Amino acid sequence: MHRIVKSFGGVRALGGADLNVQAGTIHGLVGQNGAGKSTLIKILAGIHQPDAGSIEIAGQRYNHLTPHRAEKLGLHFIHQDRLLVPTFTVGEALFLGSEPRVGPLPLLNRRRMKRQAAETIHNYFGVELPVGALIGELTPAQQQIVQITRALLRSPSVLVFDEPTAALVKPEADRLFESIQRLRVQGLTIVYISHYLNEIAMLCDRVTVLRNGVDVGTVNPREVPSATLVSMMVARDIDEMFPKRVATIGEPILTVKKLCRRRAFTDVSFTVRRGEIVGITGLVGSGVKELVRSLFGLIHVDSGKLAIGGRPIHLRSPSVAVGRRLALVPENRRKHGVALDLSVRENVTLASLQQYSRFGFLQLAREAQAVDELISRLSVRTPHRNTAVRHLSGGNQQKVALAKWLSRRSSLYILDEPTVGVDIGSKVEIYRLIGELAEQGAGILTLSADLLELLGICDRILVMYRGHIAREFSAAATNSDELLACATGADLTALPVNE
Amino acid sequence: MDKSLAALGEPIPNASARRSAAGWLSLLIRAGSLFAFASVMLYFAIAAPFFLTFSNIANVLEQSTILGVLSFGMTIVMIGGGSNVITGGIDLSLANNLGLCAAVYASVLRNGQPDTVALSLTLAVGLAVGSLNAVAVVGLGILPLIATLSVMNICAGFELVLTQNTVIPATSPLLSSLTDNGPLGISYLALVLLALAVILIVGVEFTPLGLRLYAVGAYREAARAAGLYVQSYIAASYLISGVCGAIGAVLSVSLLNGSSTGSGAMLLSVVLTALLGAIFSRRLVPTITGTLLSVLFIGFLINGFQLTNVSSYWVNGVEGVLILFVVAATSLVRRGES
Repeated sequence: MHRIVKSFGGVRALGGADLNVQAGTIHGLVGQNGAGKSTLIKILAGIHQPDAGSIEIAGQRYNHLTPHRAEKLGLHFIHQDRLLVPTFTVGEALFLGSEPRVGPLPLLNRRRMKRQAAETIHNYFGVELPVGALIGELTPAQQQIVQITRALLRSPSVLVFDEPTAALVKPEADRLFESIQRLRVQGLTIVYISHYLNEIAMLCDRVTVLRNGVDVGTVNPREVPSATLVSMMVARDIDEMFPKRVATIGEPILTVKKLCRRRAFTDVSFTVRRGEIVGITGLVGSGVKELVRSLFGLIHVDSGKLAIGGRPIHLRSPSVAVGRRLALVPENRRKHGVALDLSVRENVTLASLQQYSRFGFLQLAREAQAVDELISRLSVRTPHRNTAVRHLSGGNQQKVALAKWLSRRSSLYILDEPTVGVDIGSKVEIYRLIGELAEQGAGILTLSADLLELLGICDRILVMYRGHIAREFSAAATNSDELLACATGADLTALPVNE
Repeated sequence: MDKSLAALGEPIPNASARRSAAGWLSLLIRAGSLFAFASVMLYFAIAAPFFLTFSNIANVLEQSTILGVLSFGMTIVMIGGGSNVITGGIDLSLANNLGLCAAVYASVLRNGQPDTVALSLTLAVGLAVGSLNAVAVVGLGILPLIATLSVMNICAGFELVLTQNTVIPATSPLLSSLTDNGPLGISYLALVLLALAVILIVGVEFTPLGLRLYAVGAYREAARAAGLYVQSYIAASYLISGVCGAIGAVLSVSLLNGSSTGSGAMLLSVVLTALLGAIFSRRLVPTITGTLLSVLFIGFLINGFQLTNVSSYWVNGVEGVLILFVVAATSLVRRGES
């Protein structure tokens, strides 16, 4: 792929990226979130068309590809989300679209389908799968095997894996690596995208690092230490976005003890104290998303203890959390954070209507006054307090979601990616606001994939890796290289043993 | 290497425990529903000795024909569109399509045309209604619930225009021979139901086309990734459903000796029967076999109530309970899987 350029609505995702993969090798592709890895791969798959640049496959040049042509050229993709019908048997899922038939009749040959499925999987991977079982009954690793076998049945020349281990636990991932190495021995060309640098070092012959939409280098990961890769990945533009604040840290407000959820995280313990901003981060599959969702009461934990302000709490649902004066600002604000069709006023006071009611009726004047105050305090850019939130920009929607909780003076705020999809100006205002909340004595836990953001606003940063809190950093005494190294497993010395 | 790879076949203990819990639940539901079916039959067989006689069974088959044919159409739409009741495939126009087709059949006969002309016109109308649904759902991308609701109204309107809300009597050689008894003393009406069932079971459960239709309904992205033209499968499901409406109409005209008003009242029974059918399948998805079983179950239930002098109005209540049970059970299993 040569000098690929691609923009989405004014935002440049790729600014002339090169990727050269030699036949018969395993080629890694790494980069931070937003570096352009998935855009590059989607252009290769023909899902996106490049604005400029060209693609050369086996000596043939193309300005762009379509999904159909990509398949004809023998390019196959193992996407992160598995494209298998959960109610199908292994055989059905494997042969969908090219089913074995009974002689010339248009009838399914289920017996042959089952036998061939078992044979093919055994030939490629040397394992036995329960071929009569439904896809939904298999483990993620087994589903992954079916997915890969499905691609192999179409005799690919290039196989692209996008984060194949994100949903797998360690032993499952190990078996997958062995399968991939076996495929290289059989002569396939493999492109392997992963956040996990130790996987890259173990599997790949060469690795290309993407940063901000361009390739910053292609190296041999066995010769170059992970630390070098990490520093290639991290962008180093420090800016003045983060307001300074004075932290007066008080007693613990949130205590988490040995929280476990199967296949997500194990033995997670930490505290958040009054006046403190604690950042938490981790890669896709590290369990950090699930952890925050469980603190919201959206998903259940299997074991462990939670205490808020010293009193234990059992989070059965978000309403329990809200009842204990927790403020939750979820990532997907369109789904959970704000009601798009309601006005700014209604959204802001939704969680605290009791404050503005008397005898079951709203005191509209008081409500309006309070809302106007919040609008100006957060500098929410809205024509009027009665404007529907739908008409506001992403950043301003997020500010409304925050204002909703401000109006009830919570003592603990849990924020999930508070600045995703938000313009720079609004980001700075949100940072300032988070700082103000902490100064007023609230405890804040914020999940973010933006390491610079965490370094800028947090007192402490927790990094999760494969279901554990790998390490805790003091924001003042670390840097993004160190955080990323920890999150990607590059500093294996600091890690607990994997399950 | 081989040694550690071989271990892949063994599921991780924890995961398999939960997954098989869902598996057990679905097994329990299937076994439970079959047991319920059998025990209801047994109860009626004891309470009403006439119940299990051959002529009564033939009678039940005949009475179930129209519900059955329509439910087959509904089942195919649900397979192709996915069985989510709100966003999945559903054909609300089916019952009124039958009403319109029956009116067409009866009026064409009344105008002195022979069966062949009436039959082909009726099928054409059924297909036209099916294509209208297909265009609305696939071409315009309207939610099936809304698209077919509109088409339902169109059908109801045309039927009223055609019949002026009266019954159009109709007789013809084809109609009278359908109600005759065929081999084994089973009426041709019932034989049509069984024949259609066999054709559809083979077509849906035993051909690549049927398998692909399931893929389109269960996981559209996966079907698309497998290179299927998903739109044409969905469109075809509505066409088949339209044809089922037309076939049902001919049988209905034959059974009632004319067109009848108020066919739309059948709609909910059709939807419920198709949903109920899912409990007879291992994967808890709609199947033609399952639908046939649930049609017969409801048929025998009504018949048994009549024989034991229980008001047949109870059937509505029983159907409601069954549906609640099915929907609750399937969502329980789905939750276990996700």
